Amino acid sequence: MPPPRTREHRGHWDRPRAPSGEEAPEKWDWNCPETRSLFEDAFFQDEDYIRQGSEECQKFWTFFERLQRFQHLKTTRKEEKDPGQPKHSIPALADLPRTYDPRYRINLSVLGPDTRGSRRPGRRLPPERVSEFRRALLHYLDFGQKQAFGRLAKLQRERAALPIAQYGQRILKTLKEHQVVVVAGDTGCGKSTQVPQYLLAAGFSHVACTQPRRIACISLAKRVGFESLSQYGSQVGYQIRFESTRSAATKVVFLTVGLLLRQIQREPSLPQYQVLIVDEVHERHLHNDFLLGVLRRLLPQRPDLKVILMSATINISLFSSYFDNAPVVQVPGRLFPITVVYQPVEAEPTVSKSEKLDPRPFLRVLQAIDNKYPPEERGDLLVFLSGMAEISAVLEAAQTYASHTQRWVVLPLHSALSVADQDKVFDVAPPGVRKCILSTNIAETSVTIDGIRFVVDSGKVKEMSYDPQAKLQRLQEFWISQASAEQRKGRAGRTGPGVCFRLYAESDYDAFAPYAVPEIRRVALDTLVLQMKSMSVGDPRTFPFIEPPPPASLETAIRYLRDQGALDSSEALTPIGSLLAQLPVDVVIGKMLILGSMFHLAEPVLTIAAALSVQSPFTRSAQSNLECAAARRPLESDQGDPFTLFNVFNTWVQVKSERGGNSRKWCRRRGIEEHRLYEMANLRRQFKELLEDHGLLAGAQALKPGDSYSRLQQRRERRALHQLKRQHEEGGARRRKVLRLQEEQEGGSSDEDRGTAARGAGNNVDIQDVKFKLRHNLEQLQAAASSAQALTRDQLALLKLVLGRGLYPQLAVPDPFNGGRKDSDQIFHTQAKQGTVLHPTCVFASSPEVLHPKEPEARAGEGSRDDRDRMSSRHQLLTFVSLLETNKPYLVNCVRIPALQSLLLFSRALDTNGDCSRLVADGWLELQLADTEGAVRLLAASLRLRARWESALDQQLAHQARGRGQREEEEDEEEAPVNRQEVAALSRELLQFMASKVPYSLRRLTGLEAQNLYVGPQTITTAPSLPGLFGSSALSPHPTKGGYAVTDFLTYNCLTSDTDLYSDCLRTFWTCPHCGLHMPLTPLERIAHENSCPDAPRDDPAGAEEATPEPQQKTSALQRPYRCEACQKDFLFTPTEVLRHRRQHV
Amino acid sequence: MAHEAEHQPLGVFECQLCSLTAPYSYVGQKPPNTQSIILLEESFVTKDPFTPDKDRFLVLGSRCSVCSRLVCVGPECSLFYSKRFCLPCVQENVHAFPQEIRHDLEKRKVPWKRPASQPSTQA
Repeated sequence: MPPPRTREHRGHWDRPRAPSGEEAPEKWDWNCPETRSLFEDAFFQDEDYIRQGSEECQKFWTFFERLQRFQHLKTTRKEEKDPGQPKHSIPALADLPRTYDPRYRINLSVLGPDTRGSRRPGRRLPPERVSEFRRALLHYLDFGQKQAFGRLAKLQRERAALPIAQYGQRILKTLKEHQVVVVAGDTGCGKSTQVPQYLLAAGFSHVACTQPRRIACISLAKRVGFESLSQYGSQVGYQIRFESTRSAATKVVFLTVGLLLRQIQREPSLPQYQVLIVDEVHERHLHNDFLLGVLRRLLPQRPDLKVILMSATINISLFSSYFDNAPVVQVPGRLFPITVVYQPVEAEPTVSKSEKLDPRPFLRVLQAIDNKYPPEERGDLLVFLSGMAEISAVLEAAQTYASHTQRWVVLPLHSALSVADQDKVFDVAPPGVRKCILSTNIAETSVTIDGIRFVVDSGKVKEMSYDPQAKLQRLQEFWISQASAEQRKGRAGRTGPGVCFRLYAESDYDAFAPYAVPEIRRVALDTLVLQMKSMSVGDPRTFPFIEPPPPASLETAIRYLRDQGALDSSEALTPIGSLLAQLPVDVVIGKMLILGSMFHLAEPVLTIAAALSVQSPFTRSAQSNLECAAARRPLESDQGDPFTLFNVFNTWVQVKSERGGNSRKWCRRRGIEEHRLYEMANLRRQFKELLEDHGLLAGAQALKPGDSYSRLQQRRERRALHQLKRQHEEGGARRRKVLRLQEEQEGGSSDEDRGTAARGAGNNVDIQDVKFKLRHNLEQLQAAASSAQALTRDQLALLKLVLGRGLYPQLAVPDPFNGGRKDSDQIFHTQAKQGTVLHPTCVFASSPEVLHPKEPEARAGEGSRDDRDRMSSRHQLLTFVSLLETNKPYLVNCVRIPALQSLLLFSRALDTNGDCSRLVADGWLELQLADTEGAVRLLAASLRLRARWESALDQQLAHQARGRGQREEEEDEEEAPVNRQEVAALSRELLQFMASKVPYSLRRLTGLEAQNLYVGPQTITTAPSLPGLFGSSALSPHPTKGGYAVTDFLTYNCLTSDTDLYSDCLRTFWTCPHCGLHMPLTPLERIAHENSCPDAPRDDPAGAEEATPEPQQKTSALQRPYRCEACQKDFLFTPTEVLRHRRQHV
Repeated sequence: MAHEAEHQPLGVFECQLCSLTAPYSYVGQKPPNTQSIILLEESFVTKDPFTPDKDRFLVLGSRCSVCSRLVCVGPECSLFYSKRFCLPCVQENVHAFPQEIRHDLEKRKVPWKRPASQPSTQA
């Protein structure tokens, strides 16, 4: 086809010209801004390919300058004359331009300003210059085309070169013939990125690909989108807990296993998918194993559903045989040869006796590399260590070494790092310098770093193990499996031949287990069982798992769920259980949410529940930093860690809502990982929506209409935020930077400001902040935060009650000798575990005195009783969120609660002696009350309160069940779930109960005592004639403990006792204040009478006489003395008030 | 979004020499959303996948003006000299081209060869 006639081909005046000084009479300066802007006006308007002022425009001018220089050099080129060549016989070749001009090699043309309408200002420009400019523009555009096409071609070459490329057809063909296909290939074969694309190309449009980790969903969706050339389209998306890029146009979605399970929960037949890819099945995650079981059952019902299991070449036959001998397509990995060097660590005299890892064997490897390989030969080092403590031990030593040699940049890599710090491992080291990445097993499969040539394998891994007996999580160090060792080794051979140094002997390797223990065999199964119940997959004991969990941990989980009230006695889901199953959190935290919403404490409980469900926001490095500690102190609450987290979150929200508030800086100064706070905000919102969905929380109030001005203002702000977000996204992903040698010596993560400033491409936009403000209604959050900080003492006490009940039975009792111990040596005992300690971040670790019973009022007994049985009305227990054993068993996230009252309200088993002065809670904590009468009153009061609390909770849950049934029907929105007055009365009485002051002693029973606790079944049953002592319940003899079962938790008079057998027969004269009865009565008989006295006032909040209700002061427990330097005054302020006050002075 | 609809792929472009494949969304000389640029050959065009800017296009390839083979614009497959020529045709008629182009071809050590790793026909 003939070239279209455009101006390019018309005149010869715009042929290349030797630019020379004498040619231009007037000085022409391309660098003059006015000149440039004239041309920009002419060529770079809004509808043009390049726009004035854009980045592209700048790039063009840079290109222009280069081109000018280049042409200057080539001015001597002669024009080639091609005299008298015969015309070519092929027409296409016949009319080729005789005279060569590089412009003929460009397949596009730019219209000049004169051809584009008269309004263009370019007409006045000198034609010579215009053509010079156009020519440059042409080359620029051509260059851009070549570049982009080059990338496209490279992409395709790389894809075609992947080992899996040869197998694409085979996978598709096998999938056509079978319902399940196993694709096995080692890391680097390309299965995770390519298989979805093969499916796309084959025309599948409803593909889901599960990943064990959220981060993998995002990165894979990005990569696959990029490779399938729809980086900026929507056919490839991801969906994780708080984020989704999925739209109607999405054909392939990457999602977490947990999310897919929830989709199955909603629609058991998964109608929305044609093909399901389950990636990384070999990792044997709990949920993945469960998903496989669910799929195996689903497949016969969905014959059209295809499943691809993707695995490393580990134990493939297990998966294949589980799915009826599904065909396996095995893809060889692309690995270069790797030399294995066994360098067992010899037992050498360690520098210190501490448990710290000796870094010297690792340093020796660095040295060996320096000695053996010239620095010009690139190749980085990846070191596998068991945990964060080990990483910091080696980090310190390696950085010292690196600062001497200047040949290494040392970087840590573990999951507790911020995303920005994790990303650093992908940056490149300057020439002559190697990266040394110290990593946990996160780099074994989940994070792939290019350019690794050397691997050091410590052979160790720290894994969470679970002790179902103690409900204790243990982070223990183990030898890795052979499969892991091979994975680690393989990391050295991805880009070229590599070396793997194994710091253990070959005989050790031979002794390793072939595969790692699957998660299902080493973690608590509560949430799994709950999920199984809610998906009605039948009895968990008979569920066809790929490898069944240990029966004992299954039983523990079932018992635990029954104890928590999530399952009933026939192991069916209770209403609370089915609600808990939908909350993506630990059962105890779910319970807190439900309880909190009942007491109208939803807002604070939402925050606390969210805070307890994410990793601690306190950075490790800041622990030793005094400045951070001091800055954090005003946020600490002596009630317990959840309240500290609560303060942190609320104050952070306040900082965010201030104009120009720099929350990033605020966090850094306090050693807080802001990312965790964002997670909290997201989680909080999700919890809130769940509670609203279930009718436990009144739906979002329609926003105050506000005046039109503020509405406009809001809309404008949102638009601005969207704009920022878009700009950020268009700025593209973070580019790799070159690491600085010095940078890392400062400690890795301290340079966030510099880093982000560099990344933000000039504009220092905190994109997390922008996203946060778009996702959340900051005003609402702020309102919640400020109301939270104005919590009254009562609300705080109720909140603690809610937490305590939610966390029960996770209790620890202080050791009686703590008073004489150092702050850091405080010891606590749980029922199953003695000698636990506080986590160093715990507020009680720095101020343990708030736990000690203060006023020793009296000593119980004489002589035989020792100091431990101190009488006090202020004994306290710790309730904790988790028990984690690393080098010591640590209590994590503790709250202090009053001992007696909490035990009376929460215990699942309360046993008493004859006069109720001795109580044993759950068979391990003994309480001795000085005053029998007070004891019985309290006990009776607790019974009533528990019954009322239970029924209020039942109503609440019944309401939510009803609410779900008739969502659409017009429901009285005003009607609160539970009668407001009732709840208010209950809260009031609970508070009075909690405040009651009864002196008692608290003691953990010894093992022997616990064994010989009960009198046992009695042959002579003499039912005490104490009508109404414990309400209306009839007493029946307890079959095993002896005594009488009063309720399902209270057993009366079943404790063996060494005290006077006749004590309960001692009667004294007493006059009833109500009916005037006057006779000798034992204390129990007296109370029994009072409870049943016909003349007694009905609504008597019994048991609360002793209580001295706290004055209803509006002061907050969060207040701290504050001295304002500006106005030289002292105040009592909450952290928010401090901020507010300070703002006055600005 | 309105723009996205315009970029709906019409089909899949495949180079008959190197098997490069990519979906194309336009064939012609005036790529959508651009007013000032004209293509000098009937081209298979896609939206530039490497930029979020929806107006950016990328020319994938066109037909050889001698043999009408559909070829990509990659330098291993074709060249443009006022028209598109696939490299085999250029080789055959190398004397019809100016010296500069002949030089260029010689500089390419492997004048024309299919890429070593012949990808299978899958996408």
